[in-house]
Amino acid sequence: MNKKTKRHKLVDARQPNLVEDVYVHSLPPLIRFDGPAVEYIDGEAVEFDFGAVKDRPIVITDTTFRDGQQARPPYTIDQMVHIYDLLSRLSGPQGVIRQTEFFLYTKNDRETLDRCRALGHKYPECTGWIRAVKGDFRLVKEAGLQESGMLTSSSDYHIFHKLKFRSRKECMESYCEVVDAAFEAGVRPRCHLEDITRADIDGFVLPFAERLMEMSEQVPEELKTKIRLCDTMGFGISYPGAELPRSIPKLIYKLNKEIGVPSNRLEWHGHNDFHKVHTNGVTAWLYGCDAVNTTLFGFGERTGNPPLESAVMEYIALKADTCGMDTLVITELADYMRSIGLPIPDNYPFAGRAFNTTRAGIHAGGLRQDERIYNIFDTEALLGRPARVAITDKSGADGVAHWVNEFFGLKGGERINKIKIHKLARWVIDQYEVEGRLTAISDQELEAKAKEFFPDYWAKHTASQK
Amino acid sequence: MATVEERVKTVTAQVLKLNADEIKGEDNFTADLGAESVQSIELVAMFEEEFGIEMDEDAALSVETVGGAVDFITKVCREQGVEIEE
Repeated sequence: MNKKTKRHKLVDARQPNLVEDVYVHSLPPLIRFDGPAVEYIDGEAVEFDFGAVKDRPIVITDTTFRDGQQARPPYTIDQMVHIYDLLSRLSGPQGVIRQTEFFLYTKNDRETLDRCRALGHKYPECTGWIRAVKGDFRLVKEAGLQESGMLTSSSDYHIFHKLKFRSRKECMESYCEVVDAAFEAGVRPRCHLEDITRADIDGFVLPFAERLMEMSEQVPEELKTKIRLCDTMGFGISYPGAELPRSIPKLIYKLNKEIGVPSNRLEWHGHNDFHKVHTNGVTAWLYGCDAVNTTLFGFGERTGNPPLESAVMEYIALKADTCGMDTLVITELADYMRSIGLPIPDNYPFAGRAFNTTRAGIHAGGLRQDERIYNIFDTEALLGRPARVAITDKSGADGVAHWVNEFFGLKGGERINKIKIHKLARWVIDQYEVEGRLTAISDQELEAKAKEFFPDYWAKHTASQK
Repeated sequence: MATVEERVKTVTAQVLKLNADEIKGEDNFTADLGAESVQSIELVAMFEEEFGIEMDEDAALSVETVGGAVDFITKVCREQGVEIEE
């Protein structure tokens, strides 16, 4: 048994300590740090000041129309233009969602881009995505884009087995020729170092990054190469002490501090194959990468990418401010995605139909007394989604009372107490005990009963809806 | 007019589907009479209807026995000026 080293005396209190400096409720819970993180790199202890992220110009980038589209049938042009418009509203005037990328290969791709830009939004900035082929920069230039991503795969899986280069040197020379073509075309290249978490970091990634930095010395600031670290298979690990090539802290440190790639030219692109995608993206932010690449609702190749809306919430939690973002648009986007046939699971955070719906009666009882007990933050204010209860045989009278009050929009002293809803609570119980029902009761059924049992409230409610 | 105790027992018997003659003052609604969660709410609602009173939800639901209910309802009736036979 471990020896006790410190005694802890009960701090009695008559007033609750709700830790409201962290759980502010009007925002997602704040993420605060009380000291540096330490990572041992090449035998040296290196300190990282995560708290600095509050003042760093971190941003979210989007690849809903590129990686996001690789996971589904193509969007129509109208759909993409509408999504872009909503992304811009979500992004806000500070451009937290800084960029989004487009394919450029088909007539539809180019028309989409033109129509999005015709909306006149400053953010997200439109960038391109092309193969690492010199001639493709003509497409970028013709489209009038300032920046384009290009594939520069970095693992030997890709270099030798996919791209069939005979050597790493041949591969690097080929990539650098394309980077030169980008400079000549006046386009900023964003090198996507695909499969970086399986690459030889010292043997290929760092020499290539060093070469890109040297090449960038010859061009003005707006053309200097960006580096996107692509965790193509979701192998990246956030934990301190993990070794390269899987360690995200070490990858970013080496590029940022050893090679000198500035934070504003580093971007993380992850995949969710091991359920690590969101945390890995945030880890990249914390260790010095300014941009995290995301997709709406995490739709992306195979298991998907960091969900944009989760990055938005994390951003607010790190900055302790919405930074001008209109988070209500997340709900509008979710509704729109569902309307065009993209399934969002009911329990999906921030956007699923039931993400803040509780089923247990005892939880509903807590919600009824103080919504902060079982709602993660003020979801009505930030997402237009008040906390709800789903009615089943486990809901109890507390759950039914909560549903009724939410449905009629009753607050504070106006709320109907659970004694007054006993007929509806009885009807619910009888559905299961007498009728043998096995499914949850739908809102439509409950609405019909609310009309029957609470005609006065119903009349007021319908009048207020007109 | 029936006494408060008789009326409480009659309502309890109706809601819990029991014989009123077998209900005793010391009976616990849950442990002895088998009242389930929703039935506790129904009991309070039926007492309010029977006596024409409004009871505080938390206070009413914290009453555990039939005798306790008689005392509590008597007190509320007096406070709300409702005539009763004690």
